[in-house]
Order: sequence, then C-alpha cells, then structure tokens
Amino acid sequence: MRGAPATPTDVFLRGRAAAAQARAFAEADERALDGLVSVRPRSAVPRPQPVWDDAEVLVHEAVGERYRRLVLASDTIAATAQAGQFLMVTVPPNAGDTILLPRPMAIHRRRPAHGGAAGTVELIYGVVGRGTRALAAVPVGGTLQLTGPLGRGFEFPCGAGSALLIGRGVGICGVMGAAEDAAVAGIRTTMVLSGRSAAQLLGRIDSAELGVRVIEATDDDGSSDVATLGERLRGHFDSAAPDRTPPDVVMVCGAGVLARLAAELGAHWGVPVQASLEAHMACGLGYCHGCAAPVRTDPSVEGPLVCADGPVFDAAIPIV
Amino acid sequence: MVPVRDDTTIPVARATSADARAAIPDGRAVLAVARAAFPDARAAFFAAAPPHPAAPPHPGFLGADTVDLSVRIGSLTLHTPVMPASGCFGPELGALIPVAELGATVTKTVFGSARGGNPVHRLTEIPAGMVNSVGIPSHGPAGYLAALHPRYAALDAPTIISVGGHRVGEYAPVVAALGEHGAAYELNVSCPNLDRDGTDIGSDPAAIREVVAAVRLVTDKPIIVKLPVLVASIAACARAAEQAGADAVCVANSIPAMPLDAQTRRPVLGNVIGGLSGPSIKPIVLRLVWLASRAVQIPVIACGGVETVDDALDYFSVGASAVQVGTASFARPFAAVEIVRGLRQRCLDSGVGSIRELLESEAD
Repeated sequence: MRGAPATPTDVFLRGRAAAAQARAFAEADERALDGLVSVRPRSAVPRPQPVWDDAEVLVHEAVGERYRRLVLASDTIAATAQAGQFLMVTVPPNAGDTILLPRPMAIHRRRPAHGGAAGTVELIYGVVGRGTRALAAVPVGGTLQLTGPLGRGFEFPCGAGSALLIGRGVGICGVMGAAEDAAVAGIRTTMVLSGRSAAQLLGRIDSAELGVRVIEATDDDGSSDVATLGERLRGHFDSAAPDRTPPDVVMVCGAGVLARLAAELGAHWGVPVQASLEAHMACGLGYCHGCAAPVRTDPSVEGPLVCADGPVFDAAIPIV
Repeated sequence: MVPVRDDTTIPVARATSADARAAIPDGRAVLAVARAAFPDARAAFFAAAPPHPAAPPHPGFLGADTVDLSVRIGSLTLHTPVMPASGCFGPELGALIPVAELGATVTKTVFGSARGGNPVHRLTEIPAGMVNSVGIPSHGPAGYLAALHPRYAALDAPTIISVGGHRVGEYAPVVAALGEHGAAYELNVSCPNLDRDGTDIGSDPAAIREVVAAVRLVTDKPIIVKLPVLVASIAACARAAEQAGADAVCVANSIPAMPLDAQTRRPVLGNVIGGLSGPSIKPIVLRLVWLASRAVQIPVIACGGVETVDDALDYFSVGASAVQVGTASFARPFAAVEIVRGLRQRCLDSGVGSIRELLESEAD
C-alpha cells in the first residue's frame, strides 16, 4: 500500500467510516435525549428583544487545532444577552462561495460596554463545513451581521448557592454564560470541561477568570466516558467536606449523552437540570419551523422548536 | 460585509466621506454613515425609512412622493410590490424590520386539519441552495385564528393567508373557516394530491380550476394561486387559475430535490426529499414567470431566488407585477425592505415615477 495514491473510492470509504462514527454518536445522543427534555416553565424575566447588527470583528484567531474565536463589537447584544442564548451569524461570501443560511452559535462571553470600550460578545466555533470555512476567512476589522440574542437561556433557580456546569467541545460555550452569571451572583460553580484531548479543551482561561473550579474530562485518557465521569462526579459531590455538597442545579451543553448523565445526577441529588440542545435552523426566531426539538407529541401537534422554546430545556429522567 | 452580490448593500460599511456616500445611493449606505447615532444596525435601518412609507390611498395619488410602486391584486392595492414568500416570514420579524414598508405579509400555509410537521432534519444547505422539508406544521384554521392571526393583524401590512390542502375539496372549507380574516388568500397548490397518486394539485389544470372555482364561491377577497415549478405547461396552469376566477398567480415554489450526504450517500432530510430554494433557482423561475405573464392578464407574482433589487427588476422585466422574497430573508431579515427602498431609489435616481417607466428608461 505504501506510496500507492488513494483512489476516489479509498477517499470515499475513509470519509464514510468517519461519517459512520459521527452517526453512531448522533444516534447515541438521540437515544439519550428520548423522553428526556421538556419546555421550561415561563420565565419571570422577560427575554430581550432581538436585533440585528453589523458587528465589527475585533479578534478572530485560532484556538487550538480545531476551533476559532471571534470577539465582535455590538453594544446592544452585549448589553441584553442572557446566559445560554445564541446568535444567528450571517456568513459573508468567500472566494466566490455564497452561504445562504446564517449559522446558529452560542454566546460564549458577554462584555457590556464600559468607559469608552464597545460592548462585545465572544463566539467560538469549529471549522466543520462550507459555512464555517467561509466564516474563518472573515478578517479582523471587517464586520459580521448578527441576529440576536435569541432563544431561551439558562436560569438559576431562586436561592441557588452552588452549580455544576457540564460542557463538551463547543458546547462549553453554551454553559459559559451561566458561569458568568454565577460569578456575579456569588454562586459557587464547578464546571466539567469535556473534549477529545487536554490540549483542545476550551474554557480553561474563562473558568479561571470567573473563579470556576474545573474538572477536566478527555477522550484520550478515557475520563470523558459517561459512566466514568458520572462516578467521578458522584464521588466528588457526595463527599462529607462542606464545600463538596451536591450542587443546587446542573446545567449541561454539548452532547445528548451528557444531558442524560446530568439528568441522572440531578435525580440522584434531587436538584433541577437544564440542558441546552443544538439543531439545524434557518431563521433562529421560530418562523421557519426547521428545528423540531426531540420532544414526542401527538402527530397532529407540532412539538417545541429548539430556537424559540429552547435551546435550554428542562431535563429529567422519564418516569416509566 | 453583507453579500456583495447585492448591489444595494454596502461594500464599505465604514464609508464616511461624502463621495463614498454618493457612490452608494441606497438606504443602508446612508444609515451606515449615520450608524454612530444608533445603538445597532437594526435601529439605524428603521430610522432610515423613507419619509412617506405609507401607501398613497389609491393609484394615481402621488402626493409628496413622486414614485408610485403600488400594485393591484384584484380589489386589493399593495403600496409596494414586495412581500415575503410563505414560510419565510413570521410575526417574530415585526420587531426586526419595518414591516409597514412591505406590500403585504404572507403567512405560513394553513391546512384544514392540524399537522405536526416532518421528522428532523427538516432543512439543509447544499451548494445549490437551501433544501427544506419542514412539512408545514399547522394548527388548522381555528388554531391559526386564535394563536397566529392576531399577531399578523397587528403588523402594519395587509395579511395574505396561505391556504393548503391535499384534495381539491379541502381548500374552500379552510377559506370559509377563515371568514373575514386576511386581506387575500394565496392557494398553495404545490401539495401532493392524495386523490391522484400524489401528483401536485398545481400540476393539473383541471384540479386548479376546481380548487379556485370552489374558493371563489366562498370569498370575494382576492385569490392568488401559488403554482409549482414542475408542470407540463405553466401557461395552461396559469390560464386555468385565471379562468376559474383567480386574481393573480404566484410563480413559483421551491423545486423538489433530494440532497444526499456526501460521505454516506444517505438522504440528509428526515423526509428524504424537500424543496430547493435560493438564488440558483432564479433562471428556472424567470422562464416560468415569462411564460405565465404571456399567458394571462391577471398579475403574476414572481417567487424564486430574489435577493436584490436587480433580481426583482429582472422579474419585472419579464412580466411580473410583484415579487416575493423567501430564502434571502434568513441571512438578511431586512432583504425585502431593502428591495423596496432600492426600487424607490432607482426610480428617483432615474427621474421616473414607476417601475414600468424605469424599465423603459433602461431600455432606451
């Protein structure tokens, strides 16, 4: 085989093997989410009115091998976005390639305007397809059109004094807003940062800045395995030490299997669990009806939408 | 950095010199210059509305505004010939764009009975465009009137209610159930006919005639028939609609397509097939609009890949009286309003009072 050029069939088969693995993960997530999530009760805090804005790109840089970080100037969105909300990012044409649909992205960090500095939001994305390849070409100093803030975010229950946040991959961005709110509210927070390898974990610097205690879990040493992680978290929080009592709420984003683990931990500790979901969407506002959430309904009734009813849902182990 | 294919958008978002401003004669350029005064681009876009966005009360009344963009659809006068495509608009957009600048809004299709929609994935993007198979979730007419219509009615534009059915007899009862609500009805006949082995109702002139005649009996309001792309003769379909009493035809709809995953050769969409939309379908629909316009006297509303003022003018040049904007709105919610402003500005720049005169002046 050495030196033999890959034939188109070789390339196809290699791609298919990778796709089969991705599909196996997706199917595991789908099974894990079956019956798990429901629309959260109406919030006492009104959602901010979304806007669209032409945001200047202040930072656009690689983060590790897989991700890119965007810092975007938008006073309105930075001032109004709630933890766990997302933006629709319109991708400008790149080298003759036109991207039609905006891409949904979680708001990783919010920094409202202060002094003379513009308000900013920070996004992190993986370059995974045509849209994100075109997005990666946007230069610093250019602008990106954003629509948002969108969706139903994370909310701390009244009186919560501690929280466990679980994020995997770019899903870490989905829960980082909750860590920001927790820091402001004085809620003691532990965050699981899960990813393929330690070198690629997102959120370490943010967690340090926000005073979040970090538990790392990676595929390369097996610590991200759901059963292993679950055992470790039970051991961590079921301790007799005063700062190791179970959290008052669990918030999770990044994988259906982790949402299920969070729901199991929530049932074990008797605390509520909120899970943020991902979906393909076109509008982000609810009118295209593209992002049906995995909630079973009567076939004649449309189920909830990830964009408008989520992306954050309540997660609880179904009672059989 | 909005898409450069749109000549009405601003390649120089931070243009500040008077020269740069003069070079880009459209609403967004002006507002880009004035951006500093507004908290965000949406607010600036609202503020850049033309001084007299409201319609002249009847065609011929020009008032302070010397450009008349109005178009008549039967008894209904739209003050501008631009509206959203069904399924690509919702009352959620009311706060994001100045809806009053549109000629009308068009609702998602209302069916006779409630339906939940198709399994995920419901939409995808391929190099040829967007492919969707949402399955048109609907609450039925009663559910629509209770939950959705009040939100459309609160918007400052006439509501055109899209109506669907899977048998020729299903349309009229929905229109009757909608009663006096809505300014006009758009009959979405791009639906599989369950009585005819799933062929589109809209591909069968006899079925179109039957649907329109039945709806004509239950309403005096304007009837628009939204025709599908895959028909043997668009002229025959448009004529069938006209002869049965329709006030306009809308040409066309998304094109049936089947996207496969490049890696697995498996269908991407939960429903396997879906409708292709976006700029790549425009030349296909231009031909249909041209053929339909030559076949009927009633207005033809063009729908297919409209993103820019020039796309709209292309359709007007082959006989369309109005355009619908669909897929473009997802990336640029303001796309339809921008086209309205651009049409008005082109007329003002050319010193003409209508789109017809603008096209004639271009032809000179």
